[in-house]
Amino acid sequence: MNAVETDVLIIGAGPAGLAAAFETASRGLQVTLVDESKSMGGQLVQQTQVLSSLPSIYQPMCGFELAAHLSRQLEDFEIRYLLGHRVIGFYKDGSVGITDEKNVFPLRAKKTIVATGASENAIAFPKWTLPGVMTIGAAQTLMNRNFVQPGKNAVIVGSSDFAMDVALQLSKVGVRIRGIVEKNTGVKANGTEKVEQVRKIGIPILLNSSIKEARGIGAVSEVDIQQGEDIWTEKVDLVCVDGGRSPILDIFYQLGCSFGHQEELGGWVPQYNNDFQTDCENVFLAGNAAGISTQGALLVTGMLAGINVCAALGAISKEAVEEGKQSLWKELESIETRSNLKVWQARNQHIEKFAHPVLKDQFIS
Amino acid sequence: MHIKHHPVLGEQLQKTITIYFNDLPYTAYEQQTVAAALMANGIKRLGSSRNLVQPRGLFCTKGRCCSCYATINGEDHVRTCQTMVEDGMKIYPNDEDPEVRGECCGD
Repeated sequence: MNAVETDVLIIGAGPAGLAAAFETASRGLQVTLVDESKSMGGQLVQQTQVLSSLPSIYQPMCGFELAAHLSRQLEDFEIRYLLGHRVIGFYKDGSVGITDEKNVFPLRAKKTIVATGASENAIAFPKWTLPGVMTIGAAQTLMNRNFVQPGKNAVIVGSSDFAMDVALQLSKVGVRIRGIVEKNTGVKANGTEKVEQVRKIGIPILLNSSIKEARGIGAVSEVDIQQGEDIWTEKVDLVCVDGGRSPILDIFYQLGCSFGHQEELGGWVPQYNNDFQTDCENVFLAGNAAGISTQGALLVTGMLAGINVCAALGAISKEAVEEGKQSLWKELESIETRSNLKVWQARNQHIEKFAHPVLKDQFIS
Repeated sequence: MHIKHHPVLGEQLQKTITIYFNDLPYTAYEQQTVAAALMANGIKRLGSSRNLVQPRGLFCTKGRCCSCYATINGEDHVRTCQTMVEDGMKIYPNDEDPEVRGECCGD
């Protein structure tokens, strides 16, 4: 079968992928955008909280508003949208195998930007596999994307900013939160205002505590919470685990990219240079796949990857590239030092290590 | 439970359809995934683990964890969190190893 040709293949239509699509398509490149979902915006679609730390050109807005904005700004360009499609592998000749869930067809791209995002990590405790135990993001998706109440009585395990956002949102749709369980001595969330709001509506934040065990027949019906010496039982039908996120790496493994480990960036991250280019010359990356960060930073990394792909394909003048890169890196520094300095430091360390990859051609999942 | 009045997004659920789980009819709305629609009807157990026969259900809603498999319209091992509901859809829990051989699977 003859491969479909494209200048730029962008894998993932979340914030980073859409930002990269704008940068490349607006400079006249032919762009193909693939996403497993039928809708654009990735995980922005169910974010009903106001996003903090967006790039300076943006007004404060909610995630679903940002998703609509990013999709709208692509309307003027002829982009090949492959929504409801998945990349399932690579052919020997370097072309990409894409499926619409019925057929598989090859696509050949001059440059690829991988913006596959992140997946949530689990937190294990006895019987954590019972139905009704789910990630905090899953509870949010059910509520804000499917309009389904995920339970009536809940505990949340973990106390990140995201957990606070979702706790407030769950309360508003009538879920009673019996407690936020945090194993450490302090709350993980940086947003003190949000934590205060959570406390104000009567959600107990339990420090130094953990789930000892979950029980239930066919679904979770109660959990034992342990705090110091005390152990008590809460009747719940929903347990939301907030175990943080890690980059989704499948495609990088298949491409043979090398990886480095950066705890602050979510664990194993593909190696890349300050052009967001991996050690495979034609493969760039952006967004959470390049290290877990805030929404604003995801957009900037998408723009950076886009501009660098334009430079590699000669679609932008040298001066414009340098100017664009400089201002975007400044923006990224400003966002990440403001929201999480450790992420900024880890990203720089990660880029410095580009010349010395830790793992090459190795499957490590 | 379906959220008829969302505090931020308003009244989004408009068009109802009927889906069947173990041959019993349930009401769903067209923009829902199968897993979500079943949860709205109180169905959380979508299958059981092969080895220790433990109940399994929705976990990540993003198609990554593969915990929400069910049989949909005769096809085994379908991720219910990535499949949108359709009117008349027939869903059965995945309690055994999936059927991967035979004409229906392209063998």
